[in-house]
Amino acid sequence: MKKPGRRNFIFKSITALGGLAATGGSIASCTTSSKKAITGKLLGPSFKAGHLLRKGISIIPTQVEETDVVIVGGGVSGLAAARWLKQNSDKEILLLELEQETGGNAAAGKNEQTSYPWGAHYLPLPNNSFTALLDFLHECKVITGYNEAKLPVYNEYYLCFDPEERLYINNYWQEGLVPRWGVPQKDQQQISRFQELMDELKDAKGSDRKYAFDIPLANSSADTQYRDLDKLTMLEWLLQHELTSEYLHWYVDYCCRDDFGSSLENTSAWAGIHYFASRKAEAANSEPHRVLTWPEGNNWLVQCLRETCADSIRTNAMVYNVTEVNGKIAVDFMDLRTQKYKRLLAEKCIMATPQFVNQRLLNNIPAISAQRKYERFNYVPWLVANITLKDVPQGKGFGLCWDNVIYGSKSLGYVYANHQQVALFPERKTITFYYPLADDKPAVARGKAYSSGYDYWQEFVLHELEKAHPTIREQVEALDTWVWGHGMICPVPGFIWGEEKNTSATPYADKLYFAHSDLSGISVFEEAFYQGISAAQHVLNITVA
Amino acid sequence: MRISVRALLLFSVFVVATCGLVYELVAGTLASYLLGDSVTQFSTIIGVYLFSMGIGSYFSKFFNRNLIAWFIQIEVLVAVIGGLSSTILFLLFNHVVSFRIILYMLVSTTGILVGLEIPLIMRILEDRYEFKDLVSKIFTFDYIGALLASVVFPLLLVPYLGLLRTSYLFGLMNAGVALLLCFFFNKEIRWIGYLKTTCILAIVVLVAGFILSDRIMSFTESMAYTDKIVYSAQSPYQRVVLTKNDRETKLFLNGNLQFSSADEYRYHEALVHPGLNSISNPKNVLVLGGGDGLAVREVLRYPDVKKITLVDLDPIVTEIFRSHASLASLNGKSLASDKVEVINADAFQWLRTNTQQYDFVIIDFPDPSNYAIGKLYSNVFYNLLNASLAPDGIVVIQATSPFVAPNSYWCVVNTLQSCGFNTLPYHAHVPSFGDWGFVMAQRSPNWKLNTNYSNDLRFLDGKTFAQMVVFPKDMPSRQTEVNKLNNQVLVHYFEEEWAQLVN
Repeated sequence: MKKPGRRNFIFKSITALGGLAATGGSIASCTTSSKKAITGKLLGPSFKAGHLLRKGISIIPTQVEETDVVIVGGGVSGLAAARWLKQNSDKEILLLELEQETGGNAAAGKNEQTSYPWGAHYLPLPNNSFTALLDFLHECKVITGYNEAKLPVYNEYYLCFDPEERLYINNYWQEGLVPRWGVPQKDQQQISRFQELMDELKDAKGSDRKYAFDIPLANSSADTQYRDLDKLTMLEWLLQHELTSEYLHWYVDYCCRDDFGSSLENTSAWAGIHYFASRKAEAANSEPHRVLTWPEGNNWLVQCLRETCADSIRTNAMVYNVTEVNGKIAVDFMDLRTQKYKRLLAEKCIMATPQFVNQRLLNNIPAISAQRKYERFNYVPWLVANITLKDVPQGKGFGLCWDNVIYGSKSLGYVYANHQQVALFPERKTITFYYPLADDKPAVARGKAYSSGYDYWQEFVLHELEKAHPTIREQVEALDTWVWGHGMICPVPGFIWGEEKNTSATPYADKLYFAHSDLSGISVFEEAFYQGISAAQHVLNITVA
Repeated sequence: MRISVRALLLFSVFVVATCGLVYELVAGTLASYLLGDSVTQFSTIIGVYLFSMGIGSYFSKFFNRNLIAWFIQIEVLVAVIGGLSSTILFLLFNHVVSFRIILYMLVSTTGILVGLEIPLIMRILEDRYEFKDLVSKIFTFDYIGALLASVVFPLLLVPYLGLLRTSYLFGLMNAGVALLLCFFFNKEIRWIGYLKTTCILAIVVLVAGFILSDRIMSFTESMAYTDKIVYSAQSPYQRVVLTKNDRETKLFLNGNLQFSSADEYRYHEALVHPGLNSISNPKNVLVLGGGDGLAVREVLRYPDVKKITLVDLDPIVTEIFRSHASLASLNGKSLASDKVEVINADAFQWLRTNTQQYDFVIIDFPDPSNYAIGKLYSNVFYNLLNASLAPDGIVVIQATSPFVAPNSYWCVVNTLQSCGFNTLPYHAHVPSFGDWGFVMAQRSPNWKLNTNYSNDLRFLDGKTFAQMVVFPKDMPSRQTEVNKLNNQVLVHYFEEEWAQLVN
């Protein structure tokens, strides 16, 4: 019951205005003088272990165990491989993970109110042709069944709730991320033309009748008409098509940074277009372009993967050497808890580790280390912050969404972690701020990321958020930051369909297999999942479809 | 000292011009907020203001002596009237019949006074400049002041200070200039003591207003209610205000009317009895929302009911309706009944963990005016509800007005149907709200209604209910989308439909 009469409506707007007046004075007075001290931590994957690995460990462990298959690395690809092997074979497996938790960059944290992501945090509705992924989602009840038209029915607790996205542009929050508010007509026309081109490419097929852009990307057409796009940068492609609008460039740049952590000038046009043209999902109960998400981000999926193989996982296990001994693969690792060195002897081994790690681990197999050009693999560092707020300040325009982006900011804005909770009014709100360090060369950016302390990053995050929320500082209760030195593989031009990726993915002696999203060239859940499963299939000598 | 007199007077021109335009903009903005239609408001206010300046200029010729003293006096008047204008307008908006007359009177008074000032200052300066210099200087500063005001107002003043503080701040500038002039022309003016006193008084009033503007704001909010406020509280979720006059008591949450004691019985009888009267031997009843205990009062008429579980988010609401004497008399002390268990929790989360099944469920949530509340009308929520409903149980849901917001109303009906419920839509006239809609839902397609209602009811009887299920020609059922967490169509419908009414 409850009807808003005219006067009440009017007075609502006045009290809103009064609210502005009330807080207005305090902003003016405290922007410079009385900054509240905000506390928090700087987190990240084990630096120490990384350092140890770079120095090299030459100890040969005396304690030896045997098993059928060892998986090195407990990120999404490693877990997907372990799950597959558990479900499709009776091989004894062991998965070694350096950190305390599995999950790789789908890490998550938790406070009293909510879980929140420290990295990967959503999964676009998968293409219906990717049945292995659909089966997994069915297994963990993200898909609850299929309708008469055989379209998957998604669990509505996991489909991103409405409202999904907003963009702060020209001092106003507009709904949706494609710039519209105050954008000139001719720019809007270019944006529409770009979207039409992407829609065409979504349906485009090559001479081999495969989709030009598909997920997993290995299923994409080999037609050179499309693959040659990998030789261009996304910026060059836009300019070739006379797409010059700065608003459009910002938008495409944002999308590249969102999915790859790299800028328009640095991203392969094939990869850039893949972002827009590869997703062709159809669902019984959702629009195709929506996403699946959880308060803890993709860590939720990681936990589901983990359930199937939890008893085979050893965490805090720092692998430092993988070599061939008497026809078997020897995996040497240090148990970081006990500081003891151990060797695992296995028939087969899956390296579910990124190539910058393999570079340190495979030195003692000359046939591998001689061939690889690891320097072709570029990893962009990322900064992620989780901020707990009394409230997210209400700006002008559209209200708080799941994804909140600030036009012109180098950050990706923030994601509202409580969004997928059904509770109406959480007492505290947590937002997750993402920033890929895309502007410098990765090594330089990494140096900068590591050498900047907590105070620097705190100030950086608040400064970026203040662009849209001038009063946000007063709301902050906690602010933690996390630096990913090697956040994502960067699909620089020539990388995705270049030679080096193939070389690094080639199994060694039918014993050593490789599975990591950097071998796809883009760092997304689907690719990591696919890499893990295809390596597992290779281990079982199943020919991959 | 003499050298800077000219500069000081030109500076006053600048301040007068800036302040004058700011008052005009404040009035325009306020009128747009309060009355709507900003184009009309701004253009009439600018017109009236400019015309009044003309009147002021005309009257300036009647001032012949003591020009500086008059100038100072007028400056103080501008300071006080301009500074208080927005407060006066806020305070009076709800309490005068012809708000526009007051608005234009204030605008024209300010306009006349400002219109007097420029000619006066020209005449004060006439001996100090050549005529062409005088005109050029005065108008230059006048127009620069206007530019400054028009730029600063939307970019800094409104967002950072708000309308009340802006008026006070510029009033202070006017008064400050007046005081400065007093000191400058200390010896030349006869009634200097009087002028200084008025300046200082004006400054005191304006500073007080500036500091108290938050309180004034909350006071003007309380003025929004036409009747006497007998209770008000701020809970973590909403502002609770209770008003009373000779005839009725009203409850407002966040300024929205929840019920009037004059006709709430119509609403609550229509909400509860059609469903509950049709259930043979109801034992357990669940009420979601409805912390006012009025629906519970109706449920307590059924002696068979053993237990009533009331889940309402806001402990403040359930507490005042249990303990506040006049409120407890409204709901017949229903919340103090032994049969009633009050749970203060988020209904969605509570329902997810609930394992009990209920014979009758009453859903009395606020209208779906935002995304948070919209979740409580989603298919996911209704599926949860299904699990908490006994095999032959019935649910009833308040579903906004099918006349004002037909898409919203039928969206609730269609969403229930999409979850496998069979629905029975009906509506009743509740004068405080208008034509109000409800939906009953159950699993079976056969409705076995018992329309022999108790004679104690004031509104509902069998004949009346027969009319309530009829939807006349101008409000037929319609196809809508299903409200889901991932589309929240209901909130969109609701905003569209109610916005049409309020604008």
